[in-house]
Amino acid sequence: MEHEKQGFVSRYIFSFDHKMIGKQYFTLAMSMGFIGGILAVLIRLQLGFPSQPFPFLENLFPVGMASGIMTPEFYVSLFTMHGTIMVFFLLSLLPVSGFGNFLIPLQIGARDMAFPFLNMLSFWTVVPGAIIIIISFFVEGGAAASGWTAYPPLSAIRSAIPGSDLGQTLWLVGMIFFVASFTMGGLNFVVTILNLRTKGLRMMRMPLTTWAQFIVGILGLLSFPALAAGALLLTFDRSLGTSFFLPAGIFIGDTLMPHEGGTPLLWQHLFWFLGHPEVYIIMLPAMGFTSDILATFCRRPIFGYRSMVYAIWAIGTLSFLVWGHHMFVSGMSPFLGSLFVVTTLAIAIPSAVKAFNWLFTIARAKIHFTSASLFGLGVVSLFVTGGLTGIFLGTNATDIQLHDTYFVVGHFHFIMAGAGLFGAFGAVYYWYPKMFGRMLSERLGKIHFWITFVAYYAVFFPMHYLGVSGMMRRIYDPNVYEYLQPLQPVNLFITISAFVLFAGQLLFIYNYFVSMRRGAPATANPWNSAGLEWSTPAYPGHGNWEGEIPPAHRWPYDYSEPGKKRDFTPQWEA
Amino acid sequence: MADEPKGSRGSLQGIAMAVVIWAIVVISSLYYVRYGVPELASDRGYLDSLYYVILGITGAAYILYQLALGYVIYRYRGDRPGAESSHWHESHKLELTWTIGTAAILIPIVFTGLIYWDRVRGPAPDDAVTVMAVGAQFQWDFHYPGADGEFGRFDPTLYAIDNQIGLDETDPAAADDWVLTNQLVIPVNRPTRILMRSKDVQHAIFLPNFRVKQDLVPGMTTEVWFTPVKTGSYEVACAELCGLGHYRMRAFLEVMEEADYQQWLSDNAPAAVADVADPAAEAPPASAE
Repeated sequence: MEHEKQGFVSRYIFSFDHKMIGKQYFTLAMSMGFIGGILAVLIRLQLGFPSQPFPFLENLFPVGMASGIMTPEFYVSLFTMHGTIMVFFLLSLLPVSGFGNFLIPLQIGARDMAFPFLNMLSFWTVVPGAIIIIISFFVEGGAAASGWTAYPPLSAIRSAIPGSDLGQTLWLVGMIFFVASFTMGGLNFVVTILNLRTKGLRMMRMPLTTWAQFIVGILGLLSFPALAAGALLLTFDRSLGTSFFLPAGIFIGDTLMPHEGGTPLLWQHLFWFLGHPEVYIIMLPAMGFTSDILATFCRRPIFGYRSMVYAIWAIGTLSFLVWGHHMFVSGMSPFLGSLFVVTTLAIAIPSAVKAFNWLFTIARAKIHFTSASLFGLGVVSLFVTGGLTGIFLGTNATDIQLHDTYFVVGHFHFIMAGAGLFGAFGAVYYWYPKMFGRMLSERLGKIHFWITFVAYYAVFFPMHYLGVSGMMRRIYDPNVYEYLQPLQPVNLFITISAFVLFAGQLLFIYNYFVSMRRGAPATANPWNSAGLEWSTPAYPGHGNWEGEIPPAHRWPYDYSEPGKKRDFTPQWEA
Repeated sequence: MADEPKGSRGSLQGIAMAVVIWAIVVISSLYYVRYGVPELASDRGYLDSLYYVILGITGAAYILYQLALGYVIYRYRGDRPGAESSHWHESHKLELTWTIGTAAILIPIVFTGLIYWDRVRGPAPDDAVTVMAVGAQFQWDFHYPGADGEFGRFDPTLYAIDNQIGLDETDPAAADDWVLTNQLVIPVNRPTRILMRSKDVQHAIFLPNFRVKQDLVPGMTTEVWFTPVKTGSYEVACAELCGLGHYRMRAFLEVMEEADYQQWLSDNAPAAVADVADPAAEAPPASAE
């Protein structure tokens, strides 16, 4: 496949090459994730040291931290934007848009994605979305302040909270850009995987990462339009005087609002119809990475490949039938609540299948401890911890007490954020040689892992204690409540651990950028992996393979076959 | 060693991983038992029982799985003497075992949960004390229907500083209605039914000691009922983000002996009546309803 000589712009900016687009997504997602992490540090600063003055912060946030003390409205904006940025702009962009684009063609033996132009367009659609989201911090009233869930009327009526003014408008505009981009990406994933697989690569020979991205593409296509519709309707309510989410009789700031006929519950249904599949859009790729990484470094085939694929399908399908478990105490019909309990707890079954298959992949293995495999093992641990606490929340009777407490915050930071993040880290350590033709520093990688793993548990496990003790989410100062005052030492412990966790990530950022130039040169297949992506040159150019695309003769997990001289047989060898 | 992936030397990592996972399991579990649910003051103890049953099951699963994970990581370190990895990767029997096993553990939880849910969300008994909670940024108003047991009509156009709940005083049912701000008083051992509505944004009433939480949704009347079984003073929290003052939207719940409650009603209700409604209205009789 011939390519014209590329200039700087067509190579690094408006590139059609799926690998470059993937890397562009990495850069964007990591920058956004860094900002989201700073927001988390500020949130923890307030909870660890409630309303104490930090004069040096006044220079950075003259309004939000006037005289060094955080204002409540700034605090609300902080966790709203932390959630939005982390869920959408880090945990969706990095594993899905970043790794999806980078890996799918390499793993299925294609020169590029099916629609390279659409791919470039989808990246350049999300960029303005990200910029708008960041700009919203600097407008009058500050960034959006209705939670990442943006429940109306708080998000719909401008006078309800300062952030509901221009900040919320920008949030909605940013989200619409994001949805447009993500939908284009999902379409590209599905079409590419269905049509461009190399000779011999039957669906049931695909790596689990590609399987996950395939289902994620479908989930994104079906669920994100619901958010786009909701965001548009909310924009109409805010700007054009419609009443989709606003009933009659709302009285805010001594003013009776002119709306009538809508209901806030409609927003919750639309939002969570996206919101729950979104959790699995984040989770499934991490599960795929973990499977690929564990197989490689355990030198073992992934255990129960077939049931792993069925489990991905089952989780993907069920994810559309469980959104109501976010609404058990919302005023939704109690009968509906009962139905959602059944579908929600059903998800535990395919999840358990995954957990046990990983355990049996590790058993009887010959584990090589690299940064990638450590993070892969970390995913398994976090996934089980976070999955089990979901049973309390999915059972409506026990959810009553735990709903909207720190128990929920702990739960989703393990299962979605934790497993998602560790999966992404593992994937970066594993595929970095293919991305930049160089190796990351293993020494820094391992230090990064140990800090992250221990600090992660230290930050998020005690949140369950807070939740069980009754501490609500999203409160600026828990000490207002007498029964929460004894919990201050726990909050302080979490805050200090969170600072350590954040500091540990700086190592990763340093490693990532410095190794691009200074890392040891990588060979074509540095981990002795069996997957098709490792048949490309050490630093594949546009078009991926120099000669013919190799056919797939087998599945990508042929490790330690008895009677073979090597302990792996690459997918491209007969 | 051409076939060895790079960076794999040092069984230290494997041993450390196992030890750290085991340590996390032990420490996190030991601390867990130190943080119990807030003291129970309602008849919803069965929800706590279910919580503890699930805690037992998931706790056991957590401990066993993580211990096993630590063990296989330790046991199958790549540089142990004579390390060999197995190609074995399919077992229909094992897959069935954990699929059916998980389902078998979950089914009783689901059904118990549904039965309890039904009990919690079923209709309130007829003898319940009924109060209307009105949520607003950032205040709770508790609207008592007075002796007639009927709430007066409210009209959003009437919201004012001296009429926080927008009570329409022309409605005869409103004559003996009265309002307490940030304070709710109820009798012990008698069901309490809280109807609720919001003036502005969403709120949620959270009674941590009573295992009660329910959203207040503008445009809807939601409700919850429970029976307090312990007298005392308790905190009421808002559990749904409602604005910059969400964290301080706090009220108090006072649970009294029936006799004290009646005394309190006769001491307080008339004054409140005079404040809100017709000054000539009579005090509620000693036996309410």
